[in-house]
Parts: sequence; structure tokens; C-alpha cells
Amino acid sequence: MSQNADLTLSRPKAPALPTLRLPRPSIHALVVGGVFTLLALPLVATLGYALATSWGATLLPDGLTLKWFLELWSTPRFQLAFARSMLVTLGALVLSLVLVVPVAFLAHTRYPRLDAWMNGLVLVPFAVPPVVSSVGLLQLYAGGPLPLVGSPWILIFTYVTIALPFVYRAVANSLRTIDVRSLMDAAQLLGATPFRAFFLVILPNIRIGVQVAVFLSFSFLVGEFVFANMLVGTRFETLQVYLNNMRGASGHFTSALVITLFLFTLLLTWLGNRQSGHAIAKDANA
Amino acid sequence: MTTLTAAPYARDHLPTLDRCDTVAEVATRQQGTTATASPDYLRLESLAKRFGETQVFSQIDAEIAKGEFVTLLGPSGCGKSTLLRAIAGLNTLDEGRIMVGGEEITSLPPQQRGVGMVFQHYALFPNMRVTDNVAFGLRMQKVPQEERGRRVDEVLRLVELREHADKFPHQLSGGQCQRVALARALVVEPRILLMDEPLSALDARIRRHLRQQLRDIQKTLGLTTLFVTHDQEEALMMSDRIFLMHDGRILQQGDAEALYTRPRSHQAAGFMGHYNVLSGEQAHALLGTVSRAARVALRPEAIYLQPVSEASPGGEVPTHAGPGCRGVIRRRQLLGNIVRYAVECAGIELSVDALNRGSRHLLAEESEVLVFVDLDEVQELEE
Repeated sequence: MSQNADLTLSRPKAPALPTLRLPRPSIHALVVGGVFTLLALPLVATLGYALATSWGATLLPDGLTLKWFLELWSTPRFQLAFARSMLVTLGALVLSLVLVVPVAFLAHTRYPRLDAWMNGLVLVPFAVPPVVSSVGLLQLYAGGPLPLVGSPWILIFTYVTIALPFVYRAVANSLRTIDVRSLMDAAQLLGATPFRAFFLVILPNIRIGVQVAVFLSFSFLVGEFVFANMLVGTRFETLQVYLNNMRGASGHFTSALVITLFLFTLLLTWLGNRQSGHAIAKDANA
Repeated sequence: MTTLTAAPYARDHLPTLDRCDTVAEVATRQQGTTATASPDYLRLESLAKRFGETQVFSQIDAEIAKGEFVTLLGPSGCGKSTLLRAIAGLNTLDEGRIMVGGEEITSLPPQQRGVGMVFQHYALFPNMRVTDNVAFGLRMQKVPQEERGRRVDEVLRLVELREHADKFPHQLSGGQCQRVALARALVVEPRILLMDEPLSALDARIRRHLRQQLRDIQKTLGLTTLFVTHDQEEALMMSDRIFLMHDGRILQQGDAEALYTRPRSHQAAGFMGHYNVLSGEQAHALLGTVSRAARVALRPEAIYLQPVSEASPGGEVPTHAGPGCRGVIRRRQLLGNIVRYAVECAGIELSVDALNRGSRHLLAEESEVLVFVDLDEVQELEE
């Protein structure tokens, strides 16, 4: 009798059962987890090595220390290389934005044929291997009206061409998601000059797309080695060149460098995302 | 207060509600303004525009009085939207002059024309809240913050959206978005309001409601309005005057009644209602009258059907109808309150509308009928 009562009681609960199935690992979770592990593994290993006192014959490091990080951060040569990398990368990004945003805007609104041209053009830097194009660039900038070899400018200009596809596509795609023409028309009819309309209405609406492109290019450019080494090399030691020059030194030390770079990029990306969220809210309140 | 000034943003274009006691009072005052205003507040003088080889529109002449609601009606591709954009300054013109209140604005940039515009797809700024969207025009005019807030609040109350002031456009429905767009255009007190198919993107129920609200606001404020649509019902319902456009020309203009009951050309007859357009010979065969016009137009509701079995003409057949012509019903469509018959009569297929008075009165397909035409409603067409 009591068993029967239990059965009838448990029956109405049956529809709730599907929620219980959730913890069972699905194929989706396995795939996502697998990819994530694959991507994170080298990073975790590097982090472990950077934090290890020594890690030789044993499976796990002998002890943990922040020694390598502190040593790296207090090295003036690292600090300088860091500053140089920032200068070149940010310079290149600012320059490419200033160049690309107006072009993408005009291609989208006035000259649709320009878009096809730009799509081809932005791929050229990728079509030529860096080793080949760097020789060409060195020759181009060695003499003539613009002798830039050895100065950071040559690197900035080269990086602009590398960032171009990311930035251009991102801006063009963002423009495609909004009705640029109507928004410009509406803003102008409300008394804004085309210039103001662009800054107040178009730019805030493509900002997130642009930001994504900027961070993508940033992490890409900060890790760039071939051009940096070939074009300016030791005369203007960037982080990657510094890393290369330090390859003879302790592996713990270079691991700390790699992790530092990674964390810095992560921090910037996070700040950027947060900033864009705030900016939208602030813009709307202004 | 009601005196006209030539200043572009004179306050009397948009009476603010706080200075008046009732909406009715505003309306009376505005009617006074309309009566004394010149009949050509907005003048279009032989406007023409071509894109490459195609002539988009030409010989556009119009005079529109202050406070008048004028609709540009026509099929898509007839140049009506391009014309509207040209008046706004968003397109250039090849020929002609545009005058507003005696001042020429033909070559002014859009931001200096004092023209407000509402777009089909709203064109609200996605990055701004409703209040900031509406305040945008005032910000551009450097209106002080306090006054800005007050005026935005006022106009949001007018479009009944005050409770949504802090939302972003993507949080609003289509109808609400369009009301924000209207508020945004109204708050800067434009001399002319232009609307480019503002209701076309909305669903039928919202459209009917907003149509009425739009017209009420326009009357209350006495706004000179130019409205573009391809929907004849919308045009007939809302407008003081309709300009029927076809192939870049104004075919005919007039109030709703004149345009609907007295089309002058076969294009006009073809676009308005479901006119039967007959050639001269067909008209002769059907009506027995001789007309000098090459074509005549017959409204489907001015034709009456009567089952052959009934002896005498029914009560609803007008005395002015012709002798009646034998015909056969080929198709029957029920359109709700109207039944539309396709009747073959004297070798012509006619479209006939009858009120749906219930199944007892419906005529069966393939049944024989007598067809009567109200001769007073036969419209002779030019060319």
C-alpha cells in the first residue's frame, strides 16, 4: 500500500526529469572542452614553467616562484623592448584606422566599386611571404625620397599593411550592419553637418566591430617577428626580437616573457570590451 | 502669435502644448493660420531629375498651402521618393526651383532647409536612447539643456511615448519606433514635414491606428506635410489633396473624392480602385451610347447585377441606368464586406463590386445576369 502511494506521488514529478539529464556530458560539451584543452595546454605548460623554480626530470615542477617574472619586469632591456613594441603596434593601428575608416565609409556610401578593389588590395601583403617583401621594403626605403631603414617608421608602415585586412573587413562589415545612408540623411536633416553626423551617429555604431579588429591586430602585431627582425633587428629591439635574442638564456625567463605578453593582451582586450560597454551607456546618457 | 514670420524656425510652426489650454484651442488657432496663409507656402517649380539615361521625374509643378496634408501617390518606381528626397536636399535636382515661404531653398544643404523627414525604416540612431534620438536635432541647434529637456518631453507626450523615453530603439516595436522618428522630426519645428512611406513597414492593425494618430497630430500642429505612399487607401483616408504620380509626372491632382470618382486618364483609372477601362467600341457595345472619348472608365461599384429570373429591375438599380445587358458570371471572389464578380457581357469582362448582404443574395458562378450601368458614373478619359 505504501509502495503504491510512493508510486503515485512520484509520477507527477516525471516531467521534471529532462532537467536532470543536463549534467551528462553531451557531444557538444566534449567538442568544446576538447578544443579548449588543446588551445590552453601549451599556455598552461608555459605558465607552469615560468612559475617553476626548476622543472627537469620530474613530472611536476620542484617548487613555485615568482622570481622569473620579477626578474624580467625589472630588466631595463625588457622594459625598453616592451615600450618599443607598444609604440610600433599602437602607431600602426592608429594610422591604419585613420586611413581605413574614411575609405571604408566612402566605399560603402559613394563608390561601391571601391569595395571590390579594396578587398583585393588588402590581401596583397599576405600573398607575398614576409621574407620576400621585407627585402623589397628594405630596398624601397634604403634610399630615395624616404630613407626609413633602421627607424621605427619602416616597421610602423609595414605593420599598417598587415593590419589592413583585419581593420578594413571589420569596418566594412560593421558598416553593412547599419543603414548608413538613412542614418546620415536623418542626422543631416536634423541639422548635423556630414562630418558631425559621421562622428555622432556612424562611428558609435561601428565602434564594437572596429574594436574587435583592433585587438585582433594588436595581438597579431605584438607577436610579429620576421618583419621586426629583418627590417630593424637589433637597432630597434621589439619584444619578439628581444625574445629571440634571449633564447640562449633561461627557459623560465623566456616563458615568463611569453606569459607576460599574453596577460597584457588579455588585460587590454578585457578593458576594451568593458570600455565599449560603458561608452555606449555614457553616449546615450549624454 | 499667429502672425507669419519668414524666420526659418519661427515658434508658431509648432505651438507647444503648455502655452495653450487644450488641443482643440491649438487646432482652432492653427485653422486660423491656415486660412490667412498664402496658398503656395511650398512651391515646386518645374522640377526635373535624371539618373544617367533614365528620367526619374520631370515637369513637377505644385503649390502647397501652409498646414495642408498632401500625398504623393503612385506605383513604386514612379519617382515619388526621389522627388521627396530632392525636396529634403538629399538628392540634387537637374532643373527647377523649390520655394518655402517665399524663400528659395533649391541649393541649400539639407541641414539648413528646416525640413523634417520620417523614413520608411525609421532610421533611428541605434546607439541612443529615445530621448537622445529626439533631442538630437535640438543638440545640433545648440538649444540649452533645460529647454531641450522640456521640448523633448512635450513632443514625447504628443506621440504618447513618455514612458519609453529611456529605451533604446531595438527595445521598441515598429509602431513605437516610427512614433519616435516622428517626434524626432517634429521637435525641431520643421517648416515642412516629409514622410517617405512611413507606414509601409508596419503590420495592418498598427498601420491603421498610426494613420489616424499621424493625421490628428498633423492637424493639431497645422503642419505642412508631404506624404509619399503607394497605398491608395492610405492616400484617400489621410490627405487634403493627392498628387497621383506616374512615370515621373504628376498625372492628376485633387482631393480624395475627385481623384477617386473622376480619373482623367487610363493610368489614373488603372491605379485608383479597380476601374474597368473600356475602349470606345466596347463602351458602345455595352452602353449603347456613342462617346467621343477613346476610352471610358467604369467603377466596379457603379455596375449592378440582377438575376435574369427576376422580372423587374430591383430597387437598387438607379433610374439612370442603361437598358441592361445580358451577361454571365465567370468568377466570384469574396473580399469580406464586398463581393467581386467577373462578369462577361457583350464580349467584355467586367469587374463588378456588390455589397455582401449575406449568402441569400450571392449570385452563383456561371449564372446569367442582367448588367446595369449607372450612366452618371461613366467617366470619359482623355486620350
